[in-house]
Amino acid sequence: MREGKVVLTVNGVPGEYPAGTLLSAVLPDFGLFSLPCGGRGRCGKCRVTASGELSPLTDAETRILTPDELARGIRLACQTKALGPADVTFDGGREEKARILTEGILPSFDLDPVFGENGIGAAVDIGTTTLAVRLYDRKGKLLREGTRLNPQASFGADVVSRMQAALAGHAVELKRAVLGAVDSMLASLSPVPPAAAVITGNSAMLHLLTGTDVTPLTRAPFRAARLFGEFLTAEELGLSVPAPGAPVLLPPAIASFVGADTATAMLACGFADEKNGETALLADIGTNGEIVLRRNGRLYACSTAAGPAFEGAGISMGMGGEAGAVDRVFPGRDGKLAAHVIGDAAPTGICGSGLVDAVACLLENGDLDETGFLEDEPAVILPPVELTQNDIRAVQLAKGAIHAGIRTLLRISGTPVGEVKTFYVAGGFGSYLDVKSACRIGLLPAELRPAVRVVGNAALSGCAMLLLGRGLLAPCLAMARRTGHVELASSPVFTEEYMERMLF
Amino acid sequence: MSNETLNEISAQLQRGRAKIVKELVTNALEAGLSAEEILNDGLMAGMNEVGEKFKEGTVYVPEVLVAARAMNAGVEILKPHLAAEGVKATGRVCIGTVQGDLHDIGKNLVKMMLEGKGLEVIDLGTDVSPDTFVNTAVEQDCQIICCSALLTTTMGVMEEVVKKAEAAGIRDKVRIMVGGAPVDEAFCRKIGADKYTPDAASAADAAVAFCKELKGA
Ligand code: B12
Repeated sequence: MREGKVVLTVNGVPGEYPAGTLLSAVLPDFGLFSLPCGGRGRCGKCRVTASGELSPLTDAETRILTPDELARGIRLACQTKALGPADVTFDGGREEKARILTEGILPSFDLDPVFGENGIGAAVDIGTTTLAVRLYDRKGKLLREGTRLNPQASFGADVVSRMQAALAGHAVELKRAVLGAVDSMLASLSPVPPAAAVITGNSAMLHLLTGTDVTPLTRAPFRAARLFGEFLTAEELGLSVPAPGAPVLLPPAIASFVGADTATAMLACGFADEKNGETALLADIGTNGEIVLRRNGRLYACSTAAGPAFEGAGISMGMGGEAGAVDRVFPGRDGKLAAHVIGDAAPTGICGSGLVDAVACLLENGDLDETGFLEDEPAVILPPVELTQNDIRAVQLAKGAIHAGIRTLLRISGTPVGEVKTFYVAGGFGSYLDVKSACRIGLLPAELRPAVRVVGNAALSGCAMLLLGRGLLAPCLAMARRTGHVELASSPVFTEEYMERMLF
Repeated sequence: MSNETLNEISAQLQRGRAKIVKELVTNALEAGLSAEEILNDGLMAGMNEVGEKFKEGTVYVPEVLVAARAMNAGVEILKPHLAAEGVKATGRVCIGTVQGDLHDIGKNLVKMMLEGKGLEVIDLGTDVSPDTFVNTAVEQDCQIICCSALLTTTMGVMEEVVKKAEAAGIRDKVRIMVGGAPVDEAFCRKIGADKYTPDAASAADAAVAFCKELKGA
């Protein structure tokens, strides 16, 4: 590698950078760049055309890029370093309306930002685990984006534990923690104080953010005290980086556990468009799975609790998608399994997408039967990573709950599965997931496989739409209001489906 | 022939074949077997097997559920005969998911296992207040109260149940069992309940032991 600086030309604009600079570190300066997988070489969303003195192809690239793409000089920006002079082109400067939003197919809308001249607006998604921010200018151009872990995690991993901490007297700390994190992200990403923000999140997160009493959210009948869909000022909310009077929109929630994040994801997937009659499903898969169905102009939503198995919790060798995690498993030679490990590290555990693949392979091999009985326990995936009988049981509880939630909405609305034209799969886990494996293990209904469209962080995309399209708030509010909430806990259909979908 | 029939009932129950179990039970009665024998050595023996396999992890929730359905189908037919023979349940238990919580799959599994051991179970459903648990135990003479909770926020209701039972003066006569995913041994001890078990089959074993103990006293 050369010492010192090298010249890197991006979309025709030359600049000097330290030798060894990762392309993905440079590209945000040239307009949009989204790294849905956090730069781990897994999602393939950062394809660029590159030539010159570059680092060699990584395993991730040979896996994701087709031979044709490789021949054309396509690389993954998150995997490629500039070792000497190099030339990079990518589809930047995305100023057209619909393409501002990075992933998936998003409806076009009229650009009319909720903030004024020369301002910058922020779209913020407060996830239970991760906070994500995107900054836009008035033309709808994505300027910067970033993510960080939700600092409230020290009070517990799931929403119920967080709310319990609030009830135990930590409400103010929880509020301060998240406000501080949002402020610091805005401060580090935005050159000027944002002039407006839209902040989406699940009901628990928005309750904690606004310091609203969470008691009703923690016990049956789970009636949220507040469904939001309102403007505050930055000052009222307690944010200090945006101007004090900057408007902050909290999008509407649908029900206690079908929050504003589901509403904004629906918006991004076109569910606010009353003229769109196509039968469609949306599932945001995480610890909680929110599911929405549109049919004949009617909207149905439910929340199903999968638990954290797909985040690695409750699985003997489970872990998050970090270095050392098995994230892909496929059939290898001599009936053995082959696997991919994140970060060219020695395998130390298995993350959600690897778990789904592994179970699919064990089913294919016949090592696992349809009741979830494991012939030889433990099942070796990639030494020393293995799965126990209890791990399989945890997967059954989790995948069964998601699948049963989907089936319940279909059945309650009288929708034949074959009628679903598009099945939007949203959320981080949904993006890493191998859809084929997910269908094989019955996390998703196999019949819906051809209809699947992976849309990434749709909640944040919808949030950006509200930021940039003033006219979308009214349809979004109307959509949230007319969405019928289906309570699964008291639904015999759900219980019946759950028992069936726990099987493979 | 009788042993074979009973073994067959047990085997079909384990496979969840409700219809066949019903037929077999009817045939067994016609063949002159006592209802008590059919219950103990056919139905309950089968359910016991299922419970053991569930404890080991070789079968899971759906299999237990279909087996329990088959058991209930058989029991329905036996009921009048059991009453005529004067067969009594080995104990009476009231069970429910605590107030604020609607998760009931674990609770239902415990109920099935208790019934599989020949206990009479009063199912209070979900979202059950401490008063309802205690009043039911008093009014219906239950030996055991079983509380299930799946939410960390509703576990605390179990402590209320223990306190209410104390206030009602039934702590010497009634055992309180607690369970559900977030519950553990330490929590059970902390709130002064009598028994925690991690799974439904062990819960049924413990309940049977309590009933024996209370009878002996
Ligand atoms: C299925 C499920 C649901 C179903 C419930 C359907 C139903 N009718 O019960 C639905 C989708 C409706 C649901 C809803 C909710 N859920 Co839920 N749910 C689950 C899930 C996936 C499985 C629970 C289950 O049925 N397990 C199977 C049974 C057999 O196991 P079990 O109950 O533990 O019982 C066994 C033992 O514990 C024992 N046992 C049980 N009771 C007793 C009693 C006694 C006396 C004894 C001795 C033993 C014993 O025996 C049983 C068999 O061996 C768990 C996560 C998970 N993977 O565990 C989340 C989970 C429990 N849910 C959770 C949450 C937050 C919710 C919601 C509040 C939010 C939401 N997502 O919508 C709602 C509210 C529900 C309500 N109104 O009360 C959280 C709780 C988090 C926390 N910190 O408390 C969990 C842990 C998921 C998570 N990590 O987020 N849920």
